Formats: sequence, structure tokens, C-alpha cells
Amino acid sequence: MFITPQKIEPQGHASLLAAAEAAVRAIPPAFPLEATVAVNPYLGQTGLTLAATGARLARVAGAPVTAPRALHAGMIAAGAITKGDLQAALVACAHPARPASVADLITGAGAPAPMRVPLPTVADLAATASGTDWPAIIAERLGAWAAAYFDRGQALWTPAPGLSAYASWRQWAVHDLTPELAGLPGFAARVAAAPDTPERAIAAATGALGLADGACETAFHRLLMGLGGWAQHARYLLWQAELQGGTDSAASDLLAIRLTWEDALLAAYPGIGGDWAAVAQAHGEPVEPDAAMILDTILQEAAERAAQRRLKGVLDGAVPAQAAAARPGLQAAFCIDVRSEVFRRALEAQGAGIETIGFAGFFGLPLSHRGFASDVAEAHLPVLLSPAMHSHSAAPVAVAADARFAARAARAIGRFRQAAVSSFAFVEAAGPFYAGKLVRDALGLAGKLPGPDAAPALDTALTPAQKQATAAAVLKAMSMTGGFAPLVLILGHGANVTNNPHASALHCGACGGYTGEVSARLLAILLNDPEARAGLGAQGIDLPADTHFLAGLHDTTTDTVTLFPDTPATSHADAIAAARRDLAAAGAMARAERSLRLPGATPDTVAARALNWAETRPEWGLAGCQAFIAAPRAATLGRDLQGRAFLHNYDWQADAGFATLELILTAPVVVASWISLQYYGSALAPETFGGGTKLLHNVVGGIGVVEGNGGTLRAGLPWQSVHDGTAPAHEALRLSVMIEAPTEAIDAILARHAGVRALFDNRWLHLFTLVGGRMAQRYVPKGWETA
Amino acid sequence: MSMLLPLFAPLLLIIAAFVPALRTPARAEAVSLGALALALSGAVAMVMTGPLVLSLGSGPFLLALRIDGLSAVMTVLVAFVGWVVLRYAKTYLRGEAGQGGFTATTLATLAAVLALVSAGSLLVLIAAFAGVGAGIGRLLLFYPARPAAQRAARKMRLVARAGDAALLLAAMLLFAAYGTADIAAIGAAAVPAPAAALWAAALLALAAVLKSAQFPAHGWLTEVMEAPTPVSALLHAGVINAGGFLLLRFAPVMEAAPGAMAALVMLGGFTALFGGLVMLTQPAVKTALAWSTVAQMGFMLLQCGLGLWALALLHIVAHSLYKAHAFLASGGAVASVAAARRPGPVAVPGIGAVARAFAVAVVLYAVVALGFTLLIGPKAPQTLALGAILVFGVAYLLAQGFADAAPAELTRRTALWSVLATLAYFGFQAGAAHLMAGTLPEPPEAGPLEWALIVLAVLSFGAVAVAQALFPHWAHHPASAGLRVHLANGLYANALFDRLTGGFRTQAKN
Repeated sequence: MFITPQKIEPQGHASLLAAAEAAVRAIPPAFPLEATVAVNPYLGQTGLTLAATGARLARVAGAPVTAPRALHAGMIAAGAITKGDLQAALVACAHPARPASVADLITGAGAPAPMRVPLPTVADLAATASGTDWPAIIAERLGAWAAAYFDRGQALWTPAPGLSAYASWRQWAVHDLTPELAGLPGFAARVAAAPDTPERAIAAATGALGLADGACETAFHRLLMGLGGWAQHARYLLWQAELQGGTDSAASDLLAIRLTWEDALLAAYPGIGGDWAAVAQAHGEPVEPDAAMILDTILQEAAERAAQRRLKGVLDGAVPAQAAAARPGLQAAFCIDVRSEVFRRALEAQGAGIETIGFAGFFGLPLSHRGFASDVAEAHLPVLLSPAMHSHSAAPVAVAADARFAARAARAIGRFRQAAVSSFAFVEAAGPFYAGKLVRDALGLAGKLPGPDAAPALDTALTPAQKQATAAAVLKAMSMTGGFAPLVLILGHGANVTNNPHASALHCGACGGYTGEVSARLLAILLNDPEARAGLGAQGIDLPADTHFLAGLHDTTTDTVTLFPDTPATSHADAIAAARRDLAAAGAMARAERSLRLPGATPDTVAARALNWAETRPEWGLAGCQAFIAAPRAATLGRDLQGRAFLHNYDWQADAGFATLELILTAPVVVASWISLQYYGSALAPETFGGGTKLLHNVVGGIGVVEGNGGTLRAGLPWQSVHDGTAPAHEALRLSVMIEAPTEAIDAILARHAGVRALFDNRWLHLFTLVGGRMAQRYVPKGWETA
Repeated sequence: MSMLLPLFAPLLLIIAAFVPALRTPARAEAVSLGALALALSGAVAMVMTGPLVLSLGSGPFLLALRIDGLSAVMTVLVAFVGWVVLRYAKTYLRGEAGQGGFTATTLATLAAVLALVSAGSLLVLIAAFAGVGAGIGRLLLFYPARPAAQRAARKMRLVARAGDAALLLAAMLLFAAYGTADIAAIGAAAVPAPAAALWAAALLALAAVLKSAQFPAHGWLTEVMEAPTPVSALLHAGVINAGGFLLLRFAPVMEAAPGAMAALVMLGGFTALFGGLVMLTQPAVKTALAWSTVAQMGFMLLQCGLGLWALALLHIVAHSLYKAHAFLASGGAVASVAAARRPGPVAVPGIGAVARAFAVAVVLYAVVALGFTLLIGPKAPQTLALGAILVFGVAYLLAQGFADAAPAELTRRTALWSVLATLAYFGFQAGAAHLMAGTLPEPPEAGPLEWALIVLAVLSFGAVAVAQALFPHWAHHPASAGLRVHLANGLYANALFDRLTGGFRTQAKN
């Protein structure tokens, strides 16, 4: 339940609250930066087509949903988008307002695109009428309160805990004199007299604003979009609460707060009543894409088809025949993350006996983990799932206790630094020492590797049967049922950056924004456990006794791999030494390849970016991602996919009942769509879905960033993460999902998962089948056509 | 002549600012290193042979640069921070359209700050002040289309110009009073002070208050996060000190004007407590740092007002180094907030623990102060009062370890850090006093006015320190909800300023 319905609410409020709920659900959640993951900014619109979404977002945010028309016109002129691409995209569009011919499409591409301006709010109208910048004042005031309310430990003096957002805001607003100084007399008194529940506040304001039932949803959506990241953070709280079976009212509270402002401004400026009535009327009109929007979405589709055509060339092209070794000497399982693709190619190039495997980086273990000397349980798994296993760092008790005391003393000193009066003592006692810190950090001398953490352990040990079941399930999901090498590396990944608020965005999305270290180590420990291995033969998994599993962490910033020898294996010492040499050589190759894309980098300076406190582009993250391929590695082996493809190992012939395929389509594909669409939204609509410029970032409450002094929380990727300063680093394309499996099996799964099917039907994702590694069929809502 | 080479550091930077081949980001860093080397050599030369002076012209239009002990410290500090900032910006601004202009303006601003802190004559001082203001004003508009940046820059210019006007008037009065534009000569002739000099001291204090973002003119400083992080670092570590430096430079003139000194104590002390309390409520890291600067500058002006000049210089240096680092490293706030939660709940000290902490702190203070007194001689009551205020701060650290729920090991560690902090503080203080002996005056003999101010300062800081230590017991009480809101809004001084200066109006979009 979303808003707790009050028994005393009049019946008429039901449709109003339904509109409020719909508006809240149209907002994507933004995860706190402490452990952030990519979220599809169009999550609330996956049931709509791109054009319908465009029409809605134009009304509520003025945000574009396609690449700029001029860019596409340029690509057409340069031949990067061919007439064939345009023709195919045109045919694929079923909308009646589509251009009649490719010639019309090309002519339309040459015409300027209309400016998309959102419907004004009362605050916008009041600003025009009065010359007082009400939208900015509201953003600043709301930000001042919200930052303190959502603070997770930055300020020492937070608002009283335990209040709902609406109650807390009222407690703030009845004391805050700023709105009155800005020119809104009586605002505090108005808030004091406002309804005591958000539901009634929404109802009262909606009535005063004269919003008809049908106009409420986009009017509410408009207001929530105007709150930017604050609405998205509140939406995240609802997401988390619902994952745990509860609910949260912060997002609808924010709507009530914002409506209270609208109400007060309309009362203060009665002269704008006529203009506002017209806006309220416009919110009641149906949301329909116009011909220009249709044209832009067709051009966007054409650009994607052009990219698919180029990818087809790569997949169909000849590769030097590779002699398959009878038994590989080394296997290495990586996360499907596109950054692994570069490293996997480099590692495979080190010798014919090296195989690599791609699988979601949490390796199928739904973990909640307490780190070294920490009380905080962190969810190391995709945010779609709830933890089912609990683990902790198994460091010796004395060592952990000592670290904990050190951390508490450091925290006490942090408070000493921050508190009134003591901050003066801190500066005079400690300030001079900061000369040394400045030199150290300016020169990047702060090596920050205290050595690997102790091995993780489960809080409750599994029974032998559970161990076997877990091991068998994970290996089958990885399509690893035979052909094991003597040494198998399980490699999670994480970034290694300094002074970067968005560091967790560079970690493993499948591990909930943490690194994959814990997951990889626990899996390797499990797979080396004789109790787990004992029953695998019965489950159809042929695991030789001499196969040893070894966990590691791929540092995606420096392309170095740290190995964690948690299970002793003297018998494999030589193989491990050889693996270390191969990983080091592969790292050098990968760095050389990546240095070409990183501004100001050479192969030798790539690793140093990790320690540079001024580096805004330590690595590119997943920028450039455009395809997801689930197939045996043979389908892509030796092909240069330029770090743009998620590679998931999948062998449909070994997948009885297509259970693994169902897992792939409903979990990794969905996660990949979130990542791809986050890049898409942040690149195309940076003002709405981007994180702003890192140069102005001001970390707020430990949860996110604002630009400059304050105001609206900025969720999404910063500009520096999608742009290199001269050119975009991410070509905004909807992801092409390619699966080597029969169409019937895919159809059957999509029929069972309407939400996933909507992603393909509404073309948030393109779907293809592969046959022998070549693009075969393209999914269209009516069926399949030849790719 | 080669001995005077260090005086050309500002010239080197200003040339680089205007020569395209020298103002690429990488070369600008090299130039700033050159300026740092000059500043260091100047400090060495000063120690070996006494003040370095370069002068041209005479009368009111005397142009002079002078490096004495105070200038030597400040030029090294400014050049060092300048190097760190330019090195940071080289990477940080990569790919920005405005990087070239930023680099040139930063070089020019650094040149102006270096000229300011090595000014030997009134005209150079005034010109350098204006140059710093102009440079910072341009840096604040790095994103010229941002309305908030326009607001912040306009506010900053208004206050800076008012400060410049106060300084200009003060300079004219000083010239009238002493018949020279040579700052060193003015200092030497300060006592007995003609009436004009008293007015000059009041205007200098006003200029310092405006330049140091003191209540109620602090609003410009808390809004300048609208410019990239290195600008904040430069502003909070290099530029904001100009006000305090001005007072240090004219310390003999200031000491001759007890009224101006008392005003500094009261306004500085109030701003220190006000800024410190506001900082507690700020959930955004850079904003909290900006409020911290307001408070720290207030504390520094309090020290100036008490005549603790060497201590004020120590505060300027220590604060600059800390704040430059804090701004440049502010991206780590996400990680540090997360890390603070990991070791579990904070042990809250009760009233008994707080009382014990203050008692122990006072004993600690007595022991350490006695030790230093035995080592290096007796201290002025102003110095002892400042020490008491600092020890109130240490008591807060002790109190955290004395909480009933705190394990013995935590008590031991916080106690150890408290002793180290106290020793470090008194060590630095003794060092600063030793270094500046002869360059900066001693605190004035404490008369009734001085004693009243000392008692007022110790009592008010003591009261706030006790309230801070007991903070968890009252901060979330419904009765304090309004207080929190008003403090979080900086007592509305900035909102009033906005209202008076049109800051709430819609901005022209360029």
C-alpha cells in the first residue's frame, strides 16, 4: 500500500490519491551514492513507447528522449545512417503520424526540431508575473529542508528524527522566515494552518488549484519532476520499503509539500489565475506524441539500426581460426560488465589454453555482507532482489576490535573537527599538518591499499545438501557443466578511484554498487569445499577432482587483478603463478586499448588516474555500452567488441527447460537495460536525468550531490561520465539484446513475464536471436523477422 | 639586485597570465612552482639579511614591495596553495571550454594576492586588493549562465567594493595622519596615534570584517560554491585571509585604537560562535566548510582584537592549509559519511561525563600551560584566555571518550589524542610567537576594557562548548526546533541582504 488511506478521508479523494500514486511511480528511484546502481530513468514509462514517453516528458519536464535531430541529420548526410536504415525504421513505426516516405523522413530530419517546453507551474507563472524567481526560491528552500531531512550523517545537528517528511517539513516551514523575506507574506502561518496529513494537503491544494481529476496525474508528475533528485531519492525509499514488504510516504509527502507552495503562490498572485486555468486545462488533455516527436523516434530507431548493422558486420566477419585446446589450462569467469570484454580479449590473447566466461558479477549469491569492523549490513546483489544469505568478514576478533576502536577514535576526532568551539582547537592543533597532506595528495602519493580484507564467511554455515544445491545452481546458470580447467578464476570487479562521490557507480551493479570481491571469494570457497563438490556428479556436473577455484578482483580503473588465495592449493602453485603472469600481461594490453579512449592518457598513465584526487574521468565505466550477447563464448571469440558489449555465457542446448534462459531474460537483461537507459537518459537529457558537472558537485547528506550552493539533488551520471570534453563518450542507443536460443523458447518466457516483454514490445530494448554467432531473427511485437 | 629577485614573484605570475604560451594548464603549474621557489628564497633571504624592499616613486604614489617576517610567511603560504590549486585544476578542468580563461585568471589572481601580502606601500596594497576582487569575481563566473553564480558574484562584488572603499578611505587617513605611504614607516610611527589614525583603524577593521565575511556580511562567502572546487580552495585558503592580513600588517595602528580592537573582539567572537553553530546544521559538505570558514575567520579576528597577532597568523596559516585540503578532498564525503556509520552507534556522554571531561581538560591545560611557561616564560592574560577556549574544544573530544557506553580502549585513545592536540596547539603557538617576535607587536597591556573582553570571550565560548558537549540531550527537543531552523538559515542575514539587493529577482539569462 502506497499512501495509508485514512478511514476518515472522503471518498472523492480516492482518484486524487491514485493520480498521486501514478505520478510517484512515474519517477525513477535514485539510489544513494554510498552504493548506487544504474536505474532506468524511464522506469515508470516502460509500458509506453518511446514516442509516448517523449510526449509525456515534454509536458512534464521538457526533456528530449531522442538524440538531437541535427546529429541524426549529420549522420544521414555522412552516410552513417543509410537509406536502408531509414526505410527499416520507418516501416517499423506503426504510428499514423509517421512520414509517408524515406524522402519525407530525410526532409524532416533537415528541419529544425521544435523546442520542448514543459507546462508551467504556478511558480513559473508567478515568477513571470512578479519578477521574483519563485522556482529558484522553492528549489533552494526545499533543498535546504530536504538535504537535512534525508541526511545520513553529514551534519551533526539534523532535524528531529522519526517524523514523516511532511510533518518534518511543516516543522521547518512554520519557523522559516525566508519565504516571507522573499515576498510571500503569511507563508509560515499558512503552513501552520495547513492540513495535518499529506493526503488532505494534496486534496486541499488540488481543489484550490482547480485541477480536474483527469489533469492531476501529469500536473503532479510535473511538480515531482521539478524536484529532481529529491523526488527520486524519495522514490528510492519507496522502492526499498516495498522490496521488504512495506511502504514509504516520502515521495507523496514531497508532492503535498510542493502543492502547498503552488497553492500559496496562486493565492498570493491572483492575477495569474487565468493563465493557470489554461495550464490546468492543458494537463487534462490526453498525452499524444506529435508528428515531430514521431519523426525523431524514427530517426533514433534508424541510428540504432545503423549501429546494429555495424555490429552485424563485426559478428559476421571472419576471425582467425583458433585451435581449441582439448582441456583449457585456465578458465576465468568475469562479470558480464562491458569493461570485462576488453580484459577478457586481452587475457585470451595470452595463450590458446585460456578460456573466459561471462556471468553476472554477484555470481548468483544473494548476499548481505558486513564488512571488516563494521556493523552495517550491505546488500551485495542486484537491487531487484532481496538478500537471502548473510555473511561477514572473518577477520580475527582482536584485529577487528582494534580496527573498530581506531575507527571510533577517528570518528570522535571528526566530530571534534566539526563541532562548534572545538573546530577552532582542531584547526590550530592540526592545521599545519595539512601542508603534508596537501603535498601527498597533490602528488598522488597516498597509496591506499591496506592489504586484502580477511576472507568472508557465512553467518550460518550451509548444510552439505545446501552447499551442493547452491554450487550446482550457480555452475549450471553459468553454463559450466563440464570441460573444467585445472585452475578456474572467479573474478569480481570494482573501481579504484580517489575523491570521487560517484565511486560506487563504477563498482559492480550486479553487486548493488559494491565491488564483487565478497561474492567471488565466497563462491570460490564454496566450490573448493569437498562437501559441495561431493554431489555435483549426480546433478550432471562433471567437475574433475584436480580443478581448483581461485577468487580475484578485477580493478577496472587500473586493469590489475588481485587474487585471494583463501583455500590453500600448493598443488596449483605453478598454475597460479602462470595465471598471475597472464593477468599482468593482459592488464597491460587492456590499459593500452583503454588509453586510446581516455582523454589525456597514455598506456603508462592509465593506472595513475586511480590515485589522482583531481581526476574527473578515472575510467569510462560502462559508457559506450550498446549490446548484450548471451551465447557461448565461441560466438564472439576473437571479435573486437570495443568494450561495448555485455557478454553472458549461455549454451541453450545444455539448458533443460530453459530455466537459465528465463533467468537471463528476467535478471541480467533487465539490469543491463537499466544501465544502458541510464547512460541514454544522462547523455540525452542531462538537465533532467544527468548528474550535472562534477566541477560544482557539493556532496549532500552522504546520499548524493547538488550543483553549487544547494537546491535540487542531482541524480544520474555526471556530464564528465558521458562526455570527454570535446565529444560524447556514449552514443545514446537503446541496447541490442542478442540471444543464441530458439525463438520459441524466448516467446514462451516473454509470455510469462509481461514486464520484460513490454521492454521489447515498446522497444526499450532490441531483441535478436543468434545462430552460430550470427544475427538471425529480430523480435517485433508481431513475431520475428529476418535480421 | 639578485637578492631582490623574490619580490618579482607577482610579476612572474602576471606575465604568465598574459602570455598564451605560458598559461597552458601544465605550464601554469610550472610557473606557480617557480613562484613558490621565489617565495621560499625570499623567506630564506629575509631570515639571512632582514627585510627585502623594492620601491619606486614617492609621496602618496610610492610603489613598494617589501618582504618581512609576516610577508615571508604569507607569500610562501599563498604560493604553495596556488601551486596545489593549479596542479589540481590542470586535471580537474580538462575538457572544459573555460579552462584557458580559468588558468589565466587564476594566475592573475595569485599575482594580486602575492602583491597584496608583500605590499610595502598603500597604493600597492589598494591596487592589489582591487585586483584580487576582480580576479575572484571573474572566477566565480566560470559558468556565466548560471543564475546562482551571477547572484553569488554580484553579492561578492558588492561586499568587495565596500571593503575596497573602506580601505581607500583608511589609506587616505593614514597618509594624512603620518605623511607617508610607506607601510613600514606608518607602523613605526603608529604611537602616539593622531585622531585621523583612530578613524583609519576603524575603517581598516571595517574592511577586514567585510573581506573576512563576518556577520552580517557573510552571505557572499557561503554562496560561492557556484564556481569549480579549485576556486573554492583558492578563495578559502588564499583570498579570504586578506582581511586578517590587513590587520596584521597595520597591527601597530590597530593597537593604538582600543575601540576598533574591542569591536573586532565582539564581532569576531560573535561570528565565530554563530558560524560554528550554523555549521552544525549544514548537510552539504562544501556549504558546511564555507560556514566553517566564516567561523574560523571570526575566531582569527577575535585573536587580532585581543592583540594576539602571532596567534592570528598561526590561525591564518593553519586554517588555509586545512581548508584548501578540505575543499579539494570534499569528493570523499560520501565515503566518509558511510565509514562513520560502520563502527556502530556513537556513545553519547551524559552530564557527568561532560563535567569530568571539562575538569580533566582544565587540569591538562594547567599542566601544559605551566610547562610551557616554565620553558619560555610567562604569558599575557589574552594568551591564557585563548588557551582556555581551545581547551574547551579539547574537552569535547575527551567527553566522547568519557561517555558511559564508551569502552575503556576508546577512552584511552581519545585521551591520547586530546593530549597530543593540546601539545600540538601550544607547540605551534610558541613557535609562532617565537618566529614573529619583532615583526608583530605583543598583546597590549590588559586594562579594564581588555579584561572585560577576555571574560566575555571565555564565558561565551565556554557556554557554547558546554552546550555542544551536551548537544545530544537537547538538539532534538521540540523546544529547540525553531532555533535549529533559524540557525540553519544563518539568522536570515543573507536573505535580508538578498531582499535588499534584488537577489530573489529572476536573473537575466545570457
